[in-house]
Amino acid sequence: MWKTILRRLLIMIPEVILLSVLVFLLAKAMPGDPFTGSINPKADPAQIKHLMEINGLNDPWYQQYWNWVVHLFHGNLGNSYQYQEPVTRLIEGRAGNTLWLAFFTMILTYAFALPLGVYAGRHEGKLPDTIIRFYTYVTFCIPVFVILVLGIWIFGYVLGWFPTTGSVSSDAQTWAQTVGSRFYHILLPSLLGALFGTVNIVQYLRSEVIDAKHSDYVRTARSKGVPSKDIYRHHIFRNSLLPIAAFAGYSITGLLNGSIFTETVFSYPGMGLLFVNSISYRDYTVITALVLIYGILNLVGTLLSDIILSIVDPRVRIE
Amino acid sequence: MSLIEIKDLKVHYPIRSGFWNRITDSVKAVDGITFNIEAGETYGLVGESGSGKSTTGKSVVGLEKVTSGSILYNGKDITKRDNRRKLDYNRDVQMIFQDSLSSLNPRKRIEDIIAEPLRNFEHLSKDDEKLRVLQLLNIVGLDADALYKYPHQFSGGQRQRIGVARAVATNPKLIIADEPVSALDLSVQAQVLNFMKKIQREFGISYLFISHDLGVVRHMCNNIAIMNRGRLVEIGTREDIYNHPLHIYTKRLLAAIPETNVNQRVAHRASRLAVEKIYEEQQDKYYDENGMAYPLVQVSPTHSVALPETIAKQLASQEGEVQA
Amino acid sequence: MAENFEKHSDISAADLARLNQEAQAEATPSTAKIIWNEFKADKPAMAALFIIVGFIAFVMIGALFINTPKMMETNIMDYFDKPFTTDFWLGADSGGRSVAKQLIVGSRNSIGIAIGLTVISSTVGICWGLISGYFGGYIDWGMQRVYDFTMMLPMLMMIIVLVTIIPHYNAVSLTLIFSLFYWEGTSRLIRSRTLAETQKDYVAASKTSGTSNWKIIFQGIMPNISSLIIIDTTLSFAENIGVETGLSYLGFGLPTQTPSLGTMIANANDPTNITLYWWTWLPAALEIIVLCLSISYIGQVLRRAADASQRQGAAD
Repeated sequence: MWKTILRRLLIMIPEVILLSVLVFLLAKAMPGDPFTGSINPKADPAQIKHLMEINGLNDPWYQQYWNWVVHLFHGNLGNSYQYQEPVTRLIEGRAGNTLWLAFFTMILTYAFALPLGVYAGRHEGKLPDTIIRFYTYVTFCIPVFVILVLGIWIFGYVLGWFPTTGSVSSDAQTWAQTVGSRFYHILLPSLLGALFGTVNIVQYLRSEVIDAKHSDYVRTARSKGVPSKDIYRHHIFRNSLLPIAAFAGYSITGLLNGSIFTETVFSYPGMGLLFVNSISYRDYTVITALVLIYGILNLVGTLLSDIILSIVDPRVRIE
Repeated sequence: MSLIEIKDLKVHYPIRSGFWNRITDSVKAVDGITFNIEAGETYGLVGESGSGKSTTGKSVVGLEKVTSGSILYNGKDITKRDNRRKLDYNRDVQMIFQDSLSSLNPRKRIEDIIAEPLRNFEHLSKDDEKLRVLQLLNIVGLDADALYKYPHQFSGGQRQRIGVARAVATNPKLIIADEPVSALDLSVQAQVLNFMKKIQREFGISYLFISHDLGVVRHMCNNIAIMNRGRLVEIGTREDIYNHPLHIYTKRLLAAIPETNVNQRVAHRASRLAVEKIYEEQQDKYYDENGMAYPLVQVSPTHSVALPETIAKQLASQEGEVQA
Repeated sequence: MAENFEKHSDISAADLARLNQEAQAEATPSTAKIIWNEFKADKPAMAALFIIVGFIAFVMIGALFINTPKMMETNIMDYFDKPFTTDFWLGADSGGRSVAKQLIVGSRNSIGIAIGLTVISSTVGICWGLISGYFGGYIDWGMQRVYDFTMMLPMLMMIIVLVTIIPHYNAVSLTLIFSLFYWEGTSRLIRSRTLAETQKDYVAASKTSGTSNWKIIFQGIMPNISSLIIIDTTLSFAENIGVETGLSYLGFGLPTQTPSLGTMIANANDPTNITLYWWTWLPAALEIIVLCLSISYIGQVLRRAADASQRQGAAD
């Protein structure tokens, strides 16, 4: 078991290196240099040249890359030109918001998807199944940003049930009020994200349940007189649960991608919105840092899922 | 000169394990076998599943990567891909597969399936090609309306005859028949086998007939090789194998042929149990310390068995065979 | 050799034409026919098909008659004109530009890019999966590592960064950038089916018949997974409509002077626009929903046609 995990971790190393090289080269390819804007625009070109020289910007790219990596390991991601503060501190302030939103969306997704999947499988071919399948079909194909825009319009503006901007109300004074307000702010985006993100889990669980229903061990249990409620709870659901838990890691990729849309629509101050703003302001140090962080989060998510899957399914381990 | 000479053929599959996924061991699917196939004969290769007989067949037709050893055809070693290409080898050596449904591309019409080897090897004109396909269908007893149908529209026996027609299309010298009838009903088996025999007579084709069913092999083959755990345990004529089996494995296989005569049921069962008892008690006599078969020893001009020389001679004289 | 066959078969060259005709009469219906029967049996699917084909034809042709630069000129007099008037069927936006005309040109651009992206990414994905699955071994291993790596990249961010790096980007370069990332799902799906398909004996039979690897892959195996390819391509098309429009919505898709369904929905980013001037963005949002639903409904029907046991159309 630990061998699989260790090997999987070893495979990750070249991937992380490749990712960092790619991110670094992209940063290099972006127009402008890190000093544009941060120093006096009337500065002497010779002085800029001197600055570039002492900051090592005329070195060959691999040497610059090495310096960048060394800085990275010291937790130094450079300074944001737009906000005039270290990127690490800037992102620290936003990361919590994004992860909190992603986490809550995931919880809600599972809360919707698990009962729906089991219910659909259990009543395969009957009316509830048809309705649930229609629901997954509709939610699967509509682009999520359209749903978010329609959602904020109807529930945020027209009905006025939910806040339409920010992550916490400025009126919140006490700790309880702050938590409540934060919760209130992420409720609509995470509800919409969850309602429209169930399709994979529902479909997987449904087909698992249907397969299990026709399998010999369930038939045996049934013929022994085990009540069908217990069959679903102890035999079918428990067997399908771990592979479904493994989806969580993979879905991180989707949630992070989605965070860019969600945070833009709801003006929610997380990493996604920071990224969109930084692109507009060409704030390259921030962009580079965010791409790297998102890449590593993706990697960790996939790693988690792979490990869970290899525990559940020995066939994966052999590879 | 024999049509095909197989010399010390080995096909090993690596087993990877450990942390670095290095090759630590290998599965010896075929482990050093040697035999010849003569022109115009049907050579039987018999063994239980997993004995390596299919792998041998696939090596002969060029589908399997050979680990070592050689297969000579026209003096050329066809285990090398270059030699196969130079000789147009598969024009002369074709194959019939066990699963007739899986061996015919479900999205292709029968015409295209049978014409496939023709298109690659013979480059006929369109009309000539169609005529040849029609003649082939006729030879295996199918009507012209099969031409534009798909494989799933035929029964198992008909499909296997289509497979035979495809294998015969380029008028080959040798056809590897890998359990050609074991997936078919008993009644249809005879029909397909008779077509194969008829084609052999008319076109002078050799078969390498791979089967686990000694009953069918007896009907088809002049010479027979028995395979067990990747090695040959006994080679001989039909007479040698069926009437004077020497190796315990051959005896067990023969004992497993079902007895159709109900009156002899009890006797048959007794003889089966006797063979099984010998097998249980004398395993170490017939296999070496690693449980593998011994090298072959000749006991008569046609008959060889995988046993230590002394035991082989002793058994052979018990059976009353003439010493070589 | 031909005489050999002549001798043992009672069919001669003279019978060819007659037998051919007999065979033709017994021929089985083609896949296209089966799919068409399926559509004829399912009225909503037929409707979806007509909506999609009719709509795409309408915007493609309609856009030809619209002078885009002129349409995109700011016209203060028509600032936020209300919809359902003779001048502006769907009203005008903050620049006094006709929403209806923008919708037509925008649909053309968005659908065009979605089609281009689907064609490129599906082709790449199908070839990738087929080659990886067929050859196996080291080739497969290498291709799978590339796949794993690209899966790990933060796709949307990379696309946005690439868009900002490329100096003069336009619809074509945008489509190519998208294609770098959207072949993956297809490739994995195709690979796993190809792996199973390659194990079947008909592939071995083709090898012994002297057929080359490429011919086996594209003429032997590919037709056998064609239903999967058709379904996957249809569903990718529905998905890809969301790709460009989503990016244009964020402001990183098509340039501002090129209307797209996404840039129109971006009007909703303004708190006043979203409530007061709903007609500037709502039609585009609804259109995307209808398009995506119709296209993937067609995908569902194709899936049913591929699975003989679920067909609703008459057998033959």
